[in-house]
Amino acid sequence: MSTLPVRAAMVPVTRQIRAYFAPMNRVAGTPSIFDPGKYGAFLLGAPPSPWLDLGWVENFQRFCTTLTEPLRAGMPGTPTTQFRGPLDARIEFDFREWGKLQMALACGSEHMNVLASDPTANAQPSGGTPLAAVAVLPGSTASQIVLGAGAVNAFSPGNLVAVDADYQQQTGYVGTGISAAYVSDPVDVSRDANYVRRVTFNVGRVAQQTVTSLLLAQPLLGGAPVSGASVQQVVAFVDREGGSFFQEWSALFIAEEESGGRVCFHYPRLSPTTAIEMSMPLTPTAQPRAVKAFHREDEVEITKPISSLALHAAFQAMPHVDENDSQTVVCYRSYFPAAMAAVY
Amino acid sequence: MQFTKDSFYMALLQRLVSLNPLQTVTLDGTTRPAIIVAENELVISAQPVSDAFYIEWGAAQMVPQHVGDRGLMEMECLISYHTFGTVQSGVDRGRALAALDMVLLSICEPPRTSKRDYTQSPSVDLGTSILWTTPSLGKVSGTEAAKNEGLPRGNDGVRLERSTSLRVFFFPEVSFL
Repeated sequence: MSTLPVRAAMVPVTRQIRAYFAPMNRVAGTPSIFDPGKYGAFLLGAPPSPWLDLGWVENFQRFCTTLTEPLRAGMPGTPTTQFRGPLDARIEFDFREWGKLQMALACGSEHMNVLASDPTANAQPSGGTPLAAVAVLPGSTASQIVLGAGAVNAFSPGNLVAVDADYQQQTGYVGTGISAAYVSDPVDVSRDANYVRRVTFNVGRVAQQTVTSLLLAQPLLGGAPVSGASVQQVVAFVDREGGSFFQEWSALFIAEEESGGRVCFHYPRLSPTTAIEMSMPLTPTAQPRAVKAFHREDEVEITKPISSLALHAAFQAMPHVDENDSQTVVCYRSYFPAAMAAVY
Repeated sequence: MQFTKDSFYMALLQRLVSLNPLQTVTLDGTTRPAIIVAENELVISAQPVSDAFYIEWGAAQMVPQHVGDRGLMEMECLISYHTFGTVQSGVDRGRALAALDMVLLSICEPPRTSKRDYTQSPSVDLGTSILWTTPSLGKVSGTEAAKNEGLPRGNDGVRLERSTSLRVFFFPEVSFL
């Protein structure tokens, strides 16, 4: 390799942005951290744990609406110093792939697994009384669900399944591994033993079946089933406009390097949002000027009348205290210079 | 610019060897991977060999809005190939062409490679990468058959050919100040 620094290598050239999300510990309020020094420029198809690859996203835009205010002094009122006003940063993009996580993040509230219903049950928009759950046996892992001979025949390869514990009338966050919803009062969820499986992120697709087990095509997001977990078939996913719960995840976006260095955008805490103010108030007392209409889905035309549907998502960046200097920040932009790129 | 052409060819050649080491041609008595840069070959009147990718380079220009000291250039690249199929009757020539299509799309991914100076051995990394667009698969034309008005593309011809095009982007070795 030439040892001369190359200035053209200082130009990051990218084709697309790839999104990775990782669950936050909602109980402790701690995010998943992307440490550029620890993880380095990882292979985009093999993100380090706990980051989950959510595919290429389009129309990725980062908005910074943090204002800086000058402090003026003297007769001419010249700026002598300045300070930052309220921190405000958002991002907006389109998921081109649909899945459990993509839908949950784009919608922002509880994301429901529609459990296979008892044919005699009353109709419900997010799924009625489900078929009975099948108990998960010890020895199960995130990829292999042991049900036992006979019981395993309730499912077939190709089925989607939700694997989680029965609702135990508790309050607080529910869902194994990933907080999927918050229950304030057991009455709110009708004391439904299936409620956790209605919202859990521990969902997988049955790829194969053995005499006693279901082998999943992808490991369960929340990890191995907890003791006492059961499994039910999922026939669809449902999200809803409304609800009081907000998803909150850590996120990492990477501009894939075509030439030059890699650029990463890490948001320790992202909370879904919808209404995007077109312009922020110039003073704390002023009202926001306008609100841009928020489209839940975007149609990406293939050729009329054929189009694909993209999930439109927007997030408010939430604050995080950097332990290195106790500064409150909302996002990190890291840059891995290309080999032999000039430094400045 | 030559470094770009060499790097593109070497990337596709290495990927082809990795993907299917048996996809070879014999030219001038030498067996080699079935990817050929036309301008690097002897000037002879022989027809291109079948089931091989022929690379031809076209116009080059600066990319708008990327001019100046760190100017980015683009260069046209045409890759053509033809087949007679794998059996005497040629009835699988359509499938053979589709297989060549898939091989080409495969070796063009990922659509980038580092730019290297292959005039030296070992080659030297020049510090930037070249990148390219997804190949646009042009129409199929069939030849060497009687004219059939009912089949305007001539796909009943025993020789099926396709030309594909793509654009290769690179930082030139020249500083345009």
